[in-house]
Amino acid sequence: MGYLRLVHSTPPAPTPESVCLAAFDGELGYIFATLKRLGAAPYEAEDLAQEVFVVLYRNWRTLDTDRPLRPYLFGVAFRILCAHRRRRAREILCADVESDNGALSPEGSLQNKQSAALLMAALEHLPMSRRAVVIMHDLDEVPIADVARSLSITRFGAYARLRKGRRELASAVRRLSRGEART
Amino acid sequence: MKCCNPYADPKLDVLLEAGRVIERVPEVVRTRSLSRARVTLAAMAAISHEPIPAVRRRGLTVALAASLALVVGAAAATAALRGQAPPPSQPVPPAIPHPERPMHNATLDVLPSLPTVAPQSTFTEKPQRWARPITAQESYAAELDLLTRAQVAYAAREFSEVLARVAEHGRKFPNGRLTEEREALRIRALEGAGRAEEARRAAAAFESRFPRSIMLPRLSEEPR
Repeated sequence: MGYLRLVHSTPPAPTPESVCLAAFDGELGYIFATLKRLGAAPYEAEDLAQEVFVVLYRNWRTLDTDRPLRPYLFGVAFRILCAHRRRRAREILCADVESDNGALSPEGSLQNKQSAALLMAALEHLPMSRRAVVIMHDLDEVPIADVARSLSITRFGAYARLRKGRRELASAVRRLSRGEART
Repeated sequence: MKCCNPYADPKLDVLLEAGRVIERVPEVVRTRSLSRARVTLAAMAAISHEPIPAVRRRGLTVALAASLALVVGAAAATAALRGQAPPPSQPVPPAIPHPERPMHNATLDVLPSLPTVAPQSTFTEKPQRWARPITAQESYAAELDLLTRAQVAYAAREFSEVLARVAEHGRKFPNGRLTEEREALRIRALEGAGRAEEARRAAAAFESRFPRSIMLPRLSEEPR
C-alpha cells in the first residue's frame, strides 16, 4: 500500500512580462513621485504612469537590468511628460502653490508634508529642462554622468542646468517662504 | 553622491530631505495601475501573435505595383518612340488606394501600435481571407484599440473625441469585456467637458451597474 504525498508543483519560470510587471510594481511609487515632481497633475499621473509602463515593456528585452532602473524611468517619465505638455500646447511654469495641492491636505499637517509641498511648489517655478536635472541629482541623488545620459544631454550641459536650476530653486523657496510668512 | 551642501542654506536641506521621501502609492491606485498594465501586456501579446504585419505588406504591394507600372510604361514609351507596337505584356494591377493609417504625433509613437480593425478592402482577389469569423482575442483587441484611442484623447483633454470613441465602443460592443472601463471613461469625459449633470447621472448608473467596481472610489472622489 503506497501512501499519498503532497508534491508541490514547481513555480512557473518568470517570463519577461512578469518580471517587467514586477519591476513596474516595485517602482510605482517612484514613477508617481517623479511625475508629480515634474509637474503632472494628480489626475494625470495614472495615465502617464501607464505610458511609462508601455515604454518600459517595449524596451524591457534590451534593457540592462544590472544598472539601476530609476534613472532610466526618470528619462522616460520626463520625455512622456514633455510630449504630453506639447500635446496640450500649454505649459504653466509659474502656477500658484495651490494649483497642485495634492500634498496640502488638512490631515497632512506634519512638518515633512509641508516641506515637501513647499518644495513641489518651488520646483514648479523652474523650467522643465532645469527642473529635471535638479530633481534627478538633488532629490534622486543620481550622479551627474547618469543624469546627462538619461536626459541625452552633455555632462557640461547637465552641470550648467543644475547650477542655474539650484539658484532658481533657492530663490523660489525664499519667495514662497516670504509669502507664507506674510499670510 | 552629495559631498557638500550645494545650496548653503540649511532650510533648503530640510526641504530636500522631505522631498526625497517617496510616499507609497495608495493600494487602490496600485491595483488599478497593475490591472491596466496587465491589460496592456495582453494587448501587446495579441499583437505579437498576428502573423502578418499588414501595413508593411500593404506598402510592399504598392511599391511593387508602382515599380512594375514604371517598367511597363518605360517599355511602351521606348516602343512608341521607335514606331513599333509595344510588346504584349501582363496586365498591370492598378495601384490600389488603401486607407491611410491615422496620423500619429510624436507622443503616440511611444505607445504600442495597437491592432486596428481590418479595413474594408476593395481588393477582391482573395475574399476568403476576410471570411473567417473574428476570434474572441481579435474582438478584445479591437475593443482595447477603441478605448486606448479614447484614453489618448482623454489625456489630450479632447473630451468630445473621447465621447465619440466611447459611443462607438458602445455601439460595437454593447456588452464587451471592457464595458466597465468604457463607462468609467465616459463619466470622466463628461466631467471634463463640463457636463456635470450628465456625469452625475452616468455615475449613478455606473454605481448601480458595477457596485463592486474598483474604479468607484476614484469616480466618487472626483469633483462633480
